[in-house]
Amino acid sequence: MASIDPTKIKTIKEISRKEIPFALARQPESSRLFIGGSDFKLLEIDPLAEKPEPQEIGGHESYVTGVGLAGGYVISGGYDGRLMWWNAQTREHVRTVEAHAKWIRSVRASADGTLIASVADDMVARLWDAQTGEKIHELRGHAEQTPHHYPSMLYACAFSPDSRQLATADRTGRVVVWDAESGKELTAVEAPEMYTWDPKQRRHSIGGPRSLAFSPDGKLLAVGGMGQVGNIDHLGGQARLEVFDWQSGERTHEFAVGSFKGLVERLAFHPGGDWLLGAGGDNGGFLIFFDLDKKKILHETKAPMHVHDFALSESCDTLFAVGHNRIVVWEMKE
Amino acid sequence: MPPLTRRSFLAAAGATAAAADMTALNVLKSPLLAGELKRQEKRVILLWLAGGASQLETWDPKPGRPTGGPFRAIPTSVAGIHISELMPKMAERMGTTAIIRSLNTRDGSHGSGAELMHLGRRNEASVKYPDMGAVIARELGRAESQVPDYVSFYTSTEGRGNAVGTSGFLGARYQPMFLTTNTTPENLRRLESLSDVDHHARAEMRRLLSQRFARDRRGSALASHNEAYQRVRGLMASEKLFDVEQEPQAMRDKYGPTQFGEQVLVARRLSEAGVPFVKVGRAWWDSHGQNFETHLELVTELDHVMSALLDDLAERGLLENTLVVTLSEFGRTPRINASLGRDHFASAWSATLSGCGVKVGSVYGKSDEDGQTVVDGEIGAGEFFATVYQALGIDHQKEYYLGDRPLPLTDPGTEPVREVLA
Repeated sequence: MASIDPTKIKTIKEISRKEIPFALARQPESSRLFIGGSDFKLLEIDPLAEKPEPQEIGGHESYVTGVGLAGGYVISGGYDGRLMWWNAQTREHVRTVEAHAKWIRSVRASADGTLIASVADDMVARLWDAQTGEKIHELRGHAEQTPHHYPSMLYACAFSPDSRQLATADRTGRVVVWDAESGKELTAVEAPEMYTWDPKQRRHSIGGPRSLAFSPDGKLLAVGGMGQVGNIDHLGGQARLEVFDWQSGERTHEFAVGSFKGLVERLAFHPGGDWLLGAGGDNGGFLIFFDLDKKKILHETKAPMHVHDFALSESCDTLFAVGHNRIVVWEMKE
Repeated sequence: MPPLTRRSFLAAAGATAAAADMTALNVLKSPLLAGELKRQEKRVILLWLAGGASQLETWDPKPGRPTGGPFRAIPTSVAGIHISELMPKMAERMGTTAIIRSLNTRDGSHGSGAELMHLGRRNEASVKYPDMGAVIARELGRAESQVPDYVSFYTSTEGRGNAVGTSGFLGARYQPMFLTTNTTPENLRRLESLSDVDHHARAEMRRLLSQRFARDRRGSALASHNEAYQRVRGLMASEKLFDVEQEPQAMRDKYGPTQFGEQVLVARRLSEAGVPFVKVGRAWWDSHGQNFETHLELVTELDHVMSALLDDLAERGLLENTLVVTLSEFGRTPRINASLGRDHFASAWSATLSGCGVKVGSVYGKSDEDGQTVVDGEIGAGEFFATVYQALGIDHQKEYYLGDRPLPLTDPGTEPVREVLA
């Protein structure tokens, strides 16, 4: 771990894609990626292969926006409201579940590999048995409409490292923490700065938290999005991160001073807690490493595309990311 | 531009009447035809989707194509016609509406695009044309009417300057009552310090002085000025039409709680009371970033409000005489940008006509499989305007006169889309 230095990050592979890849899951101990995108497909690709050749595993009937990997299965979720299970080795289709009435925004697997969480614009989070596909809980605690009478959206979810809690975040900035075993709401925190309602100039809204991550000790919950936006025609707000001690409800950190504008689409902690990585973008993209102990930005750099999702290698020295028309791999070794 | 209040309406009448040679305007070609039109009480409600609504997320979806975005197409009540899944209510009401999918207006600028889609043509250096609302107010309005001829709502500030109504050479008589703050006109009510008797007396005094001034003088300016003043009492009496609270709660619930819903309900009230042209501007659709989220909000609202309006008009027996139009300054690019937005696009976009005079349950024109170009039935702004006029029974080639120069309602050679007309 000590050899990792985010300031030394450099691109080692960049692959252009016609579609927009939105989500990925990485096969452990490998550079094999399962990627879902705007072509409605789930692909497998090893970007570090000499000649990376994407293999189509299967498809949805709309954008594929969530991919999880648990118990030997790849689970994809899409705007068609479906969750689909695929054998990670054979690529065979295992099952399809009509999981949500509206767009699935995110799919996450618990660290212990037993649970799958999905969140969708029906404003329900659902927990699934990763092996059987059986529904375990429906988690209802997000309003279907915004305070201004428009449809709300349930963008993000994340498991705690011990798989005991699930956090979910909606468009208005409400973040709920659930007990994964009982399905009960434990608490909620609010990040309203990430939701911009423009009542005067353009009369609609933009924003909403797009990413969540628990700290390695499970005590902190990071929420990523974008700050208030003046001209909501564009992703013109500053990239924004808020961190909460979720049990007390105290907001411990607030970062809104980075160089980049746009949405923080994905967050992940370094397993040792050395830093927190946020990535996202507007028309361009960014990577921002936050040092929570020192409450400062450790390093920030441009990405060659708006980043929608990423995965770190076990040693955290390699970063795999997907975004607008690209797959990119970085290294950050000293 | 400040909103047109009662006082500014009167001031504008005096100031601009000189530019409008009303006496030289060709009066209706056929008074009989004009009388017939007005007896039929045809009306227009224009839903102006300011900033540029996406045709791909409304009336011309391209599901499964790289440009199509994530929304599915759904079947409608008319076999063979599919629209975006964001419009399930309009899908059930497709039998009220004609879709035009082949506008190519060649102007992707908000300002000049909006001007083009308000006028149906380009202004000339020496001729300022009236917009659709002013022409329809002129053609369908009644001199003795106690209500305004042309009312325009535009509450958001973005793009408002592009959507200000203009009566052009028709003069101040056909300027819209332009509401920018809420659904009720400002300064319409008589001042409390002035009694009704005094208000009448002042009007009579003004009329006498004006008559004396007009003696031995000729010209359109005076006529326009006096005509504007004669409408003051009627405008004042129409205040309750703008009050959405006059409607039962059940009706308000049908239109929904949003400002757009309330304004469209007021538009129906005005239309029912005889206002020939009401425009409700719904801004702002300019979704360069997060196009799908923006359209999820705005199309959902449009679908609900437009459906409520069409149901309401039909239940009141008004739909066959009311033309409901959805129109923008342009559409949006098939290409999806890195902010998951769509940009300005005028090469292949859509509009709709519902109700009066159109072949409902139809689609006219076709864009290619990715929505990049029109492949069948290409039309521009002029053809669209000619179609609107003809749907209302107005001869689109009818000529006004500015001095000795004849000016047809649409540019010479322009034809309506006959396939869209009933």
